[in-house]
Amino acid sequence: MTGIHTIGIADDFGSVAADGAAALAFRHRNIDPYLALCERVVIDFTGVRSANSSFVNALVAGLLEENGEAVLSKIAFKGCNRTLQVLIESAIHLGLCKRQERQCA
Amino acid sequence: MPRLALPSRVTGIHLVSLFAHAQESDDRSPIEIDFSHLEHVTPVFLAAVPATIERWKAGGRPVVLSGLEACKITSYLQRMDFLDRCGVHRAEDFQRRSASGRFVPVRPVEQPVEELAKEVAACFAPGGEDFEHANAGFFDFLVYAVTEMGNNILQHSCGRGFAAVQSSRADGMVRLALADNGCGILKSFQRVELPWSMGMSHEAAILKAMEPRVSCKSGEPNEGVGLTILAHVVSQMKGWLMVASGSGMVQVTPRCEKEAMALPEGGSYEGTLVALTVRRSSAAQFGEYLHNAKIDKGLLPVAQRHATFWT
Repeated sequence: MTGIHTIGIADDFGSVAADGAAALAFRHRNIDPYLALCERVVIDFTGVRSANSSFVNALVAGLLEENGEAVLSKIAFKGCNRTLQVLIESAIHLGLCKRQERQCA
Repeated sequence: MPRLALPSRVTGIHLVSLFAHAQESDDRSPIEIDFSHLEHVTPVFLAAVPATIERWKAGGRPVVLSGLEACKITSYLQRMDFLDRCGVHRAEDFQRRSASGRFVPVRPVEQPVEELAKEVAACFAPGGEDFEHANAGFFDFLVYAVTEMGNNILQHSCGRGFAAVQSSRADGMVRLALADNGCGILKSFQRVELPWSMGMSHEAAILKAMEPRVSCKSGEPNEGVGLTILAHVVSQMKGWLMVASGSGMVQVTPRCEKEAMALPEGGSYEGTLVALTVRRSSAAQFGEYLHNAKIDKGLLPVAQRHATFWT
């Protein structure tokens, strides 16, 4: 599989996404496997009105912790309002911090 | 039978002192709660009393609610579904009208917590589902607060929780409370043997829970930032936040001060109680407050942007 793979969040979580455990399971099932297979993975938040830190951290931070900053050239976020953008940027930062902490340990 | 006579007005701090008094008796002896003088309650009462009654009953302690005939707010307590949640079912002699914009009755905190959040947000921030609407900020704030506090109950408390929300015409404030009958914050740390939690006071444990990246279940998916960010956002909104757990309490005041104290009169709340009061109009800039909170807590770099966003 090559090219762009788009993953819709609203299809599974609806307009309010707030369950961190569900987000983590979703990431393992629907995002991780495609990172090695596709040139670009698009995480599409179209239709998601609100989310919280728990959800976005569980969905995004682990991607950075496990794959490092290089994964950012592979993933894009689509359909995010300004609040979601803040949560995503923060989750990315958290993931990078955790990776650094892991490497220093 | 020990009798807990409720005064005419019960606020959050009074309530935990009352409970402490009730807990002095034998844990399995029946207890009577007398409502006859009760005239005014807040969402803290509406959420914490059903949680506590459920705890007592689960522990084999019978609970009797008395004085409801004389109580001036019995119909109100029925309309808020409070009595049902306490296991008291009475015929209603009033017609239920829409609660929109005024209150959300007492609800159990259960999965999916998003449904509770949407109900609260739709009640107090109608139209806010549209990101460009004037109520969008308050909608986002309520969803954030209810889901983060609700998730804490569901994931960490080992108990059941209840939520209640009400607005006041008099002062334009919205009051939200979630209370659970679980193990409390300090015990949740000690249960997983976090070394720094041993010998810690309840109020120190609450303060610790407000620090970023502190969780009793650290690692994915728990990053331990929910309460941290919520407290910071509430302080930017010039609102008031209270967390009570065990014998400790922490308040974030409208002056952005964090005050930790032992509950007065030897008071104690078994479980965790979180209550906040905010002005409806104060959350218009929620996105900005969230951004500031993430920066101030070291969870977001000031200028560096990493993500690629597509429209």
